[in-house]
Amino acid sequence: MTNVSEPTNTRAELGGQKSARSSSAFLAHHFATAAQQLGAAKLGMWIFIATEILMFGGLFCAYSVWRGAEPEIFDQAHHFLSKPLGAANTIVLLFSSLTAALAVRSAGLGHRQATSAYLFATIACACVFLVVKYFEYSHKIHLGLLPGHCFGHPGFSEAMRGGREVGTCLRLDASDAPVMPEWLRAVDESGRVRVLPPRANMFFGLYFVMTGLHGIHVLVGIGVLSWVLVRNIRGSFSVQYYTPVDLAALYWHLVDLVWIYLFPLLYLVGKPE
Amino acid sequence: MTIERTDLQHPAGDHGLVATARFYWVIFGTLVLLTVLTVSASYADFGQANIVIAILIATIKASLVALFFMHLWRGSAFHTVTFLGAFLFLALFMLLTHDDVRTRGDMDPTYGGTVIPRTGQVAPGGAPVTSATADMVETARPAPLR
Repeated sequence: MTNVSEPTNTRAELGGQKSARSSSAFLAHHFATAAQQLGAAKLGMWIFIATEILMFGGLFCAYSVWRGAEPEIFDQAHHFLSKPLGAANTIVLLFSSLTAALAVRSAGLGHRQATSAYLFATIACACVFLVVKYFEYSHKIHLGLLPGHCFGHPGFSEAMRGGREVGTCLRLDASDAPVMPEWLRAVDESGRVRVLPPRANMFFGLYFVMTGLHGIHVLVGIGVLSWVLVRNIRGSFSVQYYTPVDLAALYWHLVDLVWIYLFPLLYLVGKPE
Repeated sequence: MTIERTDLQHPAGDHGLVATARFYWVIFGTLVLLTVLTVSASYADFGQANIVIAILIATIKASLVALFFMHLWRGSAFHTVTFLGAFLFLALFMLLTHDDVRTRGDMDPTYGGTVIPRTGQVAPGGAPVTSATADMVETARPAPLR
């Protein structure tokens, strides 16, 4: 395997009956050494990360197609997202990435209590992120800024919905192009009343699906990190073996990576006013 | 393989070298600074360059996370190849998708679907009409072919 830097650092050298037992407790029978086992686990995680990038990549591709086709709509619609809340959530996630990295470091140095503290901080940050997201989502739902046919839905925002103006045909000729129907009228983040056309639903569709899929990853991350935290408290890890801490942190950094791109693409697009 | 660096401590178990806590805090500080930078840049009008600047800063931030938090800088080169390989295939996917979508027609300013510019009819294989107005389009009279 690739990670064969310290192959001798295994059972025999670490010495003692106790160490030999604890090592064989984590070393699966089909691996020759702990280093080989770690190399395989890490490579597997990186391949998983690659598939995750490709999954989110499909959504980023959809985003680029729609934004390329209708930059003005994205410009108008993105004013309904709160930059301060998005930026705050970015800092929260970056901080959680820091604590995840520090948890791996502490585990590597055998500081069990510090590892627990860092893992707990990471989980706490993930929860803060989701709470902020809850407030953002409920605000959008209240305004009727929803994906698909729910966009500007009367059940969500009857008073704010504008009149329907139906054209007779689909054409781009300026002469007889129908007037753009005023579909949704709402107050944006800077307190300005904005009118969005019906197809602005595409922006909010992308917003909800991209941040929603990312949110699911945050939820899964909370689960995985909690499991690692419980195992760490129980004393399942040692300086010789803390692969789960390492891999859970890698997953958490991926969640951070995705958000690093989501934040500017959704919250910071378009022209300032 | 030994890495000579002052910010490195003893090898830890089988996982290799460990950087100091201060090192990770410096990376975090840089990431926060870049976040502040990208938010402030979004309040300035650079025209078309705004999105380029935003993506550039995001890429710098992502590189910092991947290199130092995810330890690609001292990990196996094969992990880096796996990671970057995903972006290579993503780029291929995006390139071919854009090549397809962009050559099918123009976006209708009212209904949002892809239409043939000359006739105004819904372009085959183009982006669908948005579901918010789909019921209108069904009753719409198609423009005569020229």
